[in-house]
Amino acid sequence: MSSPTGCRGAARPRRANLEISQLLIWALIFVVGAINFAARLSFIALFARREMPPLLARALRHVPAAMLTAIVVPAIVFAAPGVLRLDIGNIKLIAALIAGIVAWRWRNTMLTIAVGMVSLWLLQRFVS
Amino acid sequence: MRTHFSRSAFIEGARDMLPMTVGLIPFGIVCGVGAISVGASPVSALAMSMIIFSGAAQIIATQLLAAGAPFAVVVLSCFVVSLRFLMYSAALAPYLKPVNHRWRNLIAFLLTDQAFASSIRRFRESPDLRGSVSYFVGGGVVLWAAWQIATIAGIVAGAVIPASWQLEFVVPLCFLALLAPLLHERAALIVFVTSAVAAIALDAMPMRLSMICAGMAGIAAGVIADRMSGRGATAESEPGN
Repeated sequence: MSSPTGCRGAARPRRANLEISQLLIWALIFVVGAINFAARLSFIALFARREMPPLLARALRHVPAAMLTAIVVPAIVFAAPGVLRLDIGNIKLIAALIAGIVAWRWRNTMLTIAVGMVSLWLLQRFVS
Repeated sequence: MRTHFSRSAFIEGARDMLPMTVGLIPFGIVCGVGAISVGASPVSALAMSMIIFSGAAQIIATQLLAAGAPFAVVVLSCFVVSLRFLMYSAALAPYLKPVNHRWRNLIAFLLTDQAFASSIRRFRESPDLRGSVSYFVGGGVVLWAAWQIATIAGIVAGAVIPASWQLEFVVPLCFLALLAPLLHERAALIVFVTSAVAAIALDAMPMRLSMICAGMAGIAAGVIADRMSGRGATAESEPGN
């Protein structure tokens, strides 16, 4: 990979560093872009012509619930990076709980967003 | 399969993705502003969004560049953040067998948390693969376009949306709208609890490794739950139950 570029850039004085940064940024765009595309294509390409092991296929059924949780929960329970807030003072947590109940009951994205955002705005206005 | 395009499913996918784009605008703006602030030209800042097309990777990359991290560290961090795509790719793979390689490449390029989450249920439950593929691509294209528009807004106008609007909260709400209905099923509830506890407990891990680790923990718990209820072997043939 192009780590030598990075090392040279880091070792040089500031002005040279700025000149090289455009090249560095373009290199980063293409390297990270390629890595992202490879990760996205990986198993789609791998299993295009062969059978998936049954255990893996079963495990993959749980990907949506597992990953959605891993994305959503930290976005709600941390008031700031590393600051866990599981009390009613965390307005995002309260708004998400209300929206979650609506989503669970009615399965409607627009309604969930509307209820969640209005709850958050109201809580922001009147609680904090 | 010769063609994979159904216009009505494409439009349906595009329409269903619109609420999500509202929440992504603040992130796209942050990516545009961030790239400019670390010395990217307007063209390369936009190229970053067009080619990488991953908010998490772009935000981490610009933060690390701003902190003066070595190139290899930036690349490694972006790689770790993209590990979740391996799971999405694997989860979609069984449905994409009959799809030709051009469409597979297009689907891979447009594969994001949002596109995966909003379309996986349709891939599982609908027998019409052409419709599912078109639905996915419709949502993916709207998301990609919105991402570029938001990035341009960030490059040209800077942080134009007041933070107090909290528009970025729409993103977790959209995911919540897809997650909560899954929890009617017992196994999914076990997955949810495990993944949630793990995500909180592991939050201090570097490079956002907590996200992928929490996801893996949740999947493992789901597999164990299937085994214990003896549904494992039949679960595949009755998705959605």
